[in-house]
Amino acid sequence: MEVKIAIKRSNAQTNGKAISQAYSIEMDGNRTLLDGLIRIREEQDPTLAFRGSCGTGFCGDCTMTVNGKGAVACRTKLGKALKKADDGIIEVGPLKLAKVAKDLMYDAENFHWQKFKAVEPWVDPVAPPAKGENVVANDEVQDLRAVMSCTQCGLCDQGCTVLVVDKTFLGPAALTKAYRAVFDSRDSRTAERLQKLSMRRGMWDCTHCFEASEHCPKRIEPTDRIFALHDKAIKAEAGPPKVVHHYKSFAASVKAHGWLDEARLAVETEGFTNVRGLMKLLPFAVKAGIKGKHPLPYMLHKKRPGAEHIKRIFEKWEDNGK
Amino acid sequence: MPQHDVIVIGGGFAGLRAALEARASSADVAVLSKVHPMRSHSSGAHSGVNAALKSGDSWQDHAKDTIEAGAYLCDQKAVEVLCKNASEDVVALERMGVIFNRDSDGRIDVMPFAGSSHPRTCYAGDSAGHVILQVLYEQVLRSQIPTYDEWFVSSILVEDGMCKGVVARELKTGQNHAFYAKAVILATGGLGRVYSPSTCSLTGTADGPALAYRAGAPLVDMEMVQYHPTTLSDRGILITEAARGEGGRLVNKDGDRFMAASDAGAMEMAARDVCSRAVHAEIQEGRGENGNVYLDLRHLDKGRISDRLRETLWLLEDLEDLDPSKDLIPVRPAMHRPIGGVRVDTFGATGLPGLYAAGECASTGAHGANRLGGNSLLDCVVFGRRAGEAAARHSRGATWHPPQESLAIAETAGFNEIASRAPGKDTPGIIRRELGSLMNRKVGILRDEAGLKDAASVLRNLKERHSRLGLRDKDAAYNTDIISAAELGNMLDVAEIIIAAALARRESRGCHYRTDFPQRDDVKWLRRSVATRSTRGPIINSAPVVVTQWNPAERNPAR
Amino acid sequence: MKYAFYPGCVSKGGCPELYPAVLKVADKLGLELVEMEDAGCTGAGILSREVSDPINARTFAKAEAMGLPIMTICSTCQGVMTQANHRLKDDEYRQMINREYLSEEGLEYKGTTDVRHMLWAIVEDYGLDKLRDLVVRPLNGLPVAQFYGCYLKRPPELMVPKEFAKTRKTALEDVIEALGGVAVKSSGRGKCCGFPILTSNEENSLSMCGDHTLDAKAKGAVAMVTPCPLCHLELDGKQADAAAHKGQEINIPVFHLPQLVGLAMGFSPKEMNLQRHLVSTKPIEQRLGVEVKA
Repeated sequence: MEVKIAIKRSNAQTNGKAISQAYSIEMDGNRTLLDGLIRIREEQDPTLAFRGSCGTGFCGDCTMTVNGKGAVACRTKLGKALKKADDGIIEVGPLKLAKVAKDLMYDAENFHWQKFKAVEPWVDPVAPPAKGENVVANDEVQDLRAVMSCTQCGLCDQGCTVLVVDKTFLGPAALTKAYRAVFDSRDSRTAERLQKLSMRRGMWDCTHCFEASEHCPKRIEPTDRIFALHDKAIKAEAGPPKVVHHYKSFAASVKAHGWLDEARLAVETEGFTNVRGLMKLLPFAVKAGIKGKHPLPYMLHKKRPGAEHIKRIFEKWEDNGK
Repeated sequence: MPQHDVIVIGGGFAGLRAALEARASSADVAVLSKVHPMRSHSSGAHSGVNAALKSGDSWQDHAKDTIEAGAYLCDQKAVEVLCKNASEDVVALERMGVIFNRDSDGRIDVMPFAGSSHPRTCYAGDSAGHVILQVLYEQVLRSQIPTYDEWFVSSILVEDGMCKGVVARELKTGQNHAFYAKAVILATGGLGRVYSPSTCSLTGTADGPALAYRAGAPLVDMEMVQYHPTTLSDRGILITEAARGEGGRLVNKDGDRFMAASDAGAMEMAARDVCSRAVHAEIQEGRGENGNVYLDLRHLDKGRISDRLRETLWLLEDLEDLDPSKDLIPVRPAMHRPIGGVRVDTFGATGLPGLYAAGECASTGAHGANRLGGNSLLDCVVFGRRAGEAAARHSRGATWHPPQESLAIAETAGFNEIASRAPGKDTPGIIRRELGSLMNRKVGILRDEAGLKDAASVLRNLKERHSRLGLRDKDAAYNTDIISAAELGNMLDVAEIIIAAALARRESRGCHYRTDFPQRDDVKWLRRSVATRSTRGPIINSAPVVVTQWNPAERNPAR
Repeated sequence: MKYAFYPGCVSKGGCPELYPAVLKVADKLGLELVEMEDAGCTGAGILSREVSDPINARTFAKAEAMGLPIMTICSTCQGVMTQANHRLKDDEYRQMINREYLSEEGLEYKGTTDVRHMLWAIVEDYGLDKLRDLVVRPLNGLPVAQFYGCYLKRPPELMVPKEFAKTRKTALEDVIEALGGVAVKSSGRGKCCGFPILTSNEENSLSMCGDHTLDAKAKGAVAMVTPCPLCHLELDGKQADAAAHKGQEINIPVFHLPQLVGLAMGFSPKEMNLQRHLVSTKPIEQRLGVEVKA
């Protein structure tokens, strides 16, 4: 079938401005977009720049924007892409959140690898066994393998709502990579890692909006991995004080009353002794108070009828964790 | 001008393993790779790594299987090194952080693989390659080894009969730089792009063998090109051997398990060369469908498959809308891996002082005429480690002077010459496509003299066209056109050697099957073919096979 | 139509204007709400699932015993509950939770409770045609930007499964149009509002709030509507801060879903507690011809 592809192109001469160039190839719709791009480069236009390596979805090199959405080109079938295309032309461009290098190539060093390195994703072993391999449960291995099936394709980062406003955020790909080290029982630096990952731009800047999980082509569920990091950090009290207060207060409120006491949460998040933080709450509280958009003061907070049962659930969970 | 004790070319298994070992030996080592290391073809290795870890198995059994699969063309000393070191090197990988599947005791689990007498392949689901590559890269970061990502090496600097570094082009800027080094390790991986289709990534363009050959180091066993029996339809995408290890069956269009005719004992677990020829014959004789036979996994336990073949299932879903618990998988053989490469000893030394090679671009002779599944990753970690160690040792001992500056300038000028030519109708891609198709048709699973001569003559024409090729891309930054042209030059040089070696070997053995000489001939051809460069093209000589304790015998086709 | 009503914390806490509006609108629609007073917090994605799954299982078990589906009025409650409910479909996991956490209270969750957001209840159970019939004060082409809240959209296979794709993909748009308004497609409509990181990174949170509200305005919307009170806390409550952060005036009123429905059904702004918003809704009230007392 005839496949029309419009590619956003830019290079040094265009001063970073993209121009759209249309190509037409004759190809089976069952073929992939990467196959199509290779055909264009080989037969029609050797000046077209794009990345691609394994061609099977294992290396993560050929990520780009297809019809407005992030996609891995070697796992995108031409026929399907054509169906989703406006006017019967597949629109292809570089990844949107990364800096463009040329045509479909982007600045991978800053987009992927600097952050990958920043989480220090290697295992620093505890004292290895005297002989042979470490004994590890297969369940742990399977969980880590799911995480390690990440190819650093960057689609989760591309979909991330925080990276849109702050490019310095570590992002779901790097945080998922961090999970790999934090949850590897052979690693010796768990507490230190959780501290480092709790720095500004780290795991607490994630809004857990599930965009990352939606966009991950390998079903790694990056959002769930970040949740797991949060849980672990809270248990280890490794987060920034304000965040730990926030989480602890949230849990304490639910444990005590069965539900959330927002006024208490706000105050405890800042910390009772943090006068400056508490002062900051005041304008909102006063403004909201005047308007009537304000929670009850926590002294008046009522227990829910089933609160004691919820408290029991908490106690059992805490016992299980011990 | 960057300078290091040891420079590793290539960021896949062998390269990263070599770099780690060189670093552990206190050498100042750097990795230079034309793609980011994590984009290396190693990521696409699904299967696993062989090691006789379990009781009842032994390195000797492993060696015997390797040698039988290699049709007795193996260098048995190299086989011994490979198999004796396997357990320790695999355990070392585990300790670095590789997450091999575990048995119920929490120990590394093994699975059966074609051609192996025991279950021996340590695996990580069906993505061992991707997992091991990641862990090696993690360790490279941990060791603070500098990596030059997206740098293309165009030549090796040789002066006074010594390798003194390389010339490389930075993709990002288009700048050429000389890298001086006391030792260089080639770990550039495969040459699959010489064939089309191939299971190899786009990066497998024979760079290492071509660089070494032009620098004066010989190549060996280049006629041995392995076809994998099960690749997905006409896509050149591997369906892992683990699918058969788990009990997958090969059937023809009538649903018959045709492997019974080739090897009723081993059936689908016959060695790769045997299996590929059987599939090829089935299709040729009209019992396939649309050029394929079928891989049948429908009878296998769904839960087990969804764990063990997780990545494969997604691949099939994404690309073919297939569910192997209900559907047959259309497969055919396709070019998979060269068995030959840059001739090296078991420490990766090429014979040119200071130049080492390891992994898929090199050949110690351990794989003979056909490689056992699961031995490829093992080769990379064992021989990669040893090459790293040896190169570091060499860099400490060498009295070394930097080369004359004029040397690098001349090499750079040679590389850039193509940029000054006017573009014509040809592109690197057009020539490559013709090359790939030619090699698959005439230098593939079955070969004969007429076809090979034909191939040699067409190849001369392709080389001639390449020498006139001009570039359309005039950019300095991210000019992939010039890289493609250089890669094509590498592929054409190596293809010429493959054809010459295949013409020379007038027998059938392992991956090399001559329809005009269908028998194995131990009297004349228990010899390895060695290619060296001359002004008139490659010269093929032969060298004896090193035999230690396994005397050449009739091959058990199951192994 | 009868529901076990799960109001969540915020409709009585940070957004006290929401709860009474829901009761009034539900009453008018004939949705019978039996409030679950004895139900715990969902965990809101803050509590570990290890403890929030049992708490939610308890809530589901209670609704199951009542023989009613649960109705939520918060995207976050809905999202967390749908996900927990999905995990609890696994027999082994559910039985473990029953055994370890619920049996002491004599409860058992069998896995049959349906959890539905009020938005879905309106579109799927009540019906847009019937809703149209109740409109006495049509929005008269008022351009309103819909803002779902991320938890009502994701993960898509759970929140907008194939069988509900028709109704849920554009539920909010459809309601706006049924009320006589024009749905404005802003780029942030399915995104996170920024609320969850207000504590940890206020700057980014305000950037997100600013981007979403400014984009809605740029696309021509004069108001926004959300089915999530947490989004409301951010988009309304933090809008002034976001404006300061962005150095741009914003001033776009944000309605809770039931408030917009209620207004169109003839309730007064007071009855919908609009005076409690931080960003004034007066311009909209005027535009709709609602009598505004001096």
